Amino acid sequence: MEERKDIIQSLSDNFAILKGLLEGKSDGVSVFEYLGPYFDKANATQQSGDKLAWINFGVMPELFWAMDMTPIVVDSLTGAISGLGEAMKYIDIAEQHIPDYLCSNNKILLGAALAGDLRLPSIMVHPSHPCDSNMATYPHMAEHFGYPYYLIDMPYFRNERSIEYTARELGNLIPVLEDLTGRKLDFDKLRQVMEYSNQAQEYVLKLNHIRQQVPSPYPSLDMITEYGLLMNMAGTPELVEYLSKKYEWAKGKVDKGEGHLPEEKYRLVWIYGAVTFDMGIFNWLEREYGAVSVSHMNNNWTMNPVEDISTLDGILKGWAQKIENLPMTKECGGPWENYLNAAMALCKDYKADGAIFAGHMACKSNWAIAKMVKDRIQDEAGVPVLNIQLDLFDPRITSAETIKGMLNNFMTTIMENKKGRGSPC
Amino acid sequence: MSALDELKGIAGTLTNPSLQEWKSEGRKVIGFLCAYVPEEIIHAAGILPYRVRAVGCDQTSSADVYMSQVNCTFSRSCLEFALEDKYSFLDGLVFVWSCDNLRRVYDILREIRPDTFPLLHFIDVPHKTTDAAIDRFTEELESFKQALEQTYGVEITDDKLKEAISVYNETRSLLRQLYDLRQSKNPPLTGAEALSVVLAGTVIPKQQYNQLLKKLLEELREREGISDYRARLVIAGGGGCDDPEYFQIMEDLGGLIVNDTICFGSRTFMEPVKVDDDPMAALARSYLNRPSCPRMPEKLAERTNSIKEMVEKSQADGVVFQRLRYCDLWGGEQLDITRKMKEANIPLLTLEREYRTSATGQLKTRIQAFLERLEV
Ligand code: SF4
Ligand code: SF4
Repeated sequence: MEERKDIIQSLSDNFAILKGLLEGKSDGVSVFEYLGPYFDKANATQQSGDKLAWINFGVMPELFWAMDMTPIVVDSLTGAISGLGEAMKYIDIAEQHIPDYLCSNNKILLGAALAGDLRLPSIMVHPSHPCDSNMATYPHMAEHFGYPYYLIDMPYFRNERSIEYTARELGNLIPVLEDLTGRKLDFDKLRQVMEYSNQAQEYVLKLNHIRQQVPSPYPSLDMITEYGLLMNMAGTPELVEYLSKKYEWAKGKVDKGEGHLPEEKYRLVWIYGAVTFDMGIFNWLEREYGAVSVSHMNNNWTMNPVEDISTLDGILKGWAQKIENLPMTKECGGPWENYLNAAMALCKDYKADGAIFAGHMACKSNWAIAKMVKDRIQDEAGVPVLNIQLDLFDPRITSAETIKGMLNNFMTTIMENKKGRGSPC
Repeated sequence: MSALDELKGIAGTLTNPSLQEWKSEGRKVIGFLCAYVPEEIIHAAGILPYRVRAVGCDQTSSADVYMSQVNCTFSRSCLEFALEDKYSFLDGLVFVWSCDNLRRVYDILREIRPDTFPLLHFIDVPHKTTDAAIDRFTEELESFKQALEQTYGVEITDDKLKEAISVYNETRSLLRQLYDLRQSKNPPLTGAEALSVVLAGTVIPKQQYNQLLKKLLEELREREGISDYRARLVIAGGGGCDDPEYFQIMEDLGGLIVNDTICFGSRTFMEPVKVDDDPMAALARSYLNRPSCPRMPEKLAERTNSIKEMVEKSQADGVVFQRLRYCDLWGGEQLDITRKMKEANIPLLTLEREYRTSATGQLKTRIQAFLERLEV
């Protein structure tokens, strides 16, 4: 009988494997130097029986840090599992219980929990945006395994009133966490956490600007893997340290006019998912084509720091505003213009030669607008768009080789396009 | 013609004589796409609410240019009909935040066919039932009311709303009486017939429907009860499940459907709307609190328990959980339903289907096997 394992512990023990898979492929300060200790902390939390909160990419971890809990963004967990090539067995387990067409990100989590390979959390928190698949999995897991569950109900359209409503939902979460931990929220601690979070966000905005420079000094892989760091570690001094070092390093390169590649030939933006089961594709594009991936929808952090952190009310409103504008929550939730505008801005602001819509097959809402987004970007920004049908976590649906074949053809289009226009965009 | 035949005829077509007569009088019809739309507001505007289906849709080539094969066939079929102008009798179309598929149908129509309907409206529905959620939903309904008033030059007063609620409550009460008859040992109508009866009520004026229901209840008193069935079934599950023919297949094999929890069925009429001084708030409260579908995640346990209660009340032998392929909301429900039915020792058959009933061979085999299991 196969021995059961503890995924978080094994990520903590063997983080070097994941790091090793990508080693030498990023320069500057490595995301993995910070992500490794984070998983160590998560492991220590669960070993000590302290409170581990599962949240998803639409929540942000600050409040949990302030409550002395360890938040773990389940999407980064499933991403790491997929990066280690272990997603498929959990997907198969989940598909014995739920339909195959639900999101593999959700299936990996369910499968791992059903296999007994994941220690269950003290609570799961997620918002009502952006997709049905989350809503069709997370409450069901909580019911199945018997842990508490909190839904952050968010309005469909974003405006002043939606911020108030969402802020109230976040405020109502505080007593739930207080009951769970037996600890009162320490406001000074929350303010301190928000201060770190704001400092980090300032750097994120500056780094966005840095990656808009031609040539971009940023390695494609760092651009995307930072997502895991920001989602899990916002509100920690470690994240501020990472981003400040990264910024200094990147700015130094910009000042010297240095790009990440000796010659940046093409600039790509990813207007949807990352091929999570083979992140090496980013490096392959750099190597084969001199094509740098300068931005990615998953990592499209454009929100401003929280303005007022002097009162709980101010923090809750700022937090609400922030989570309404989180990457993927902002674009995939709400009307399709949210998606279109963000994708268009990526193409224009980052001076893209081509845009890739790596379309996760489970995302019904995104596939329903894929053609419209493509048409509008090509017509209005003049940027060619490649739509790829794939499963971001499961190579059995579309293999890395097939994806590379499609990218080869696409790069030919981009080259011809660029020759014809004589300008990057 | 008997009331039952008349109602079945109405359910089986896209338009019907009552609707055509309504239109010929210069009156408006507004389509809506989810059970979370409070029809009473449309009714109070003097407009006919029409629950959109794509009856008879046999291909989706125009819709597939925009949507993909991972979008459920109900949403694609409705888009197909909209693009083919099959809904040209509609003067407006109302969406809610029901699911990822339908919300995008709204987006696609706005982008590529913005002028097809004088009103294309989207109602945000909260995913909770807290006081704040009810307030928010009330505001949304107020905006909807204003949109109706502005677009069609009508006035929707509180009195008209209260009157509409009372008409609809009468419908609900009559439908509950109909469903009560189905609980008897020898129900006077089949599940396929009952589904047709409910569907007919979604596309004709409610006053007329209430009259037909009363006549039907009279007729059913005289009708001989069904006794030659092999097993009594409860249907659970999904949106987009509006095809009586699908139920007929189960019943032809000897299963008798005696109750359901579907959004084209019992969910819309199990609870009356409790009217108080503020009819809009009453609608918001009632619609949010009515028996839920999986877009309300916190009601999961309640939903599954209600299936168990229904099985008991209807003395059913088993549950058929049917859902459309690519419907995430109902897909996730499988985990809970499977476990809890097993725990309660209630036999369960899970069926994944497409909107249009076709290729029935495998379906028949599975139902046959299930019925055999129930008979042991
Ligand atoms: S299943 Fe729910 S969301 Fe879907 S149409 Fe029915 S009521 Fe609306
Ligand atoms: S079947 Fe499911 S996905 Fe399709 S329209 Fe209905 S609720 Fe939405």
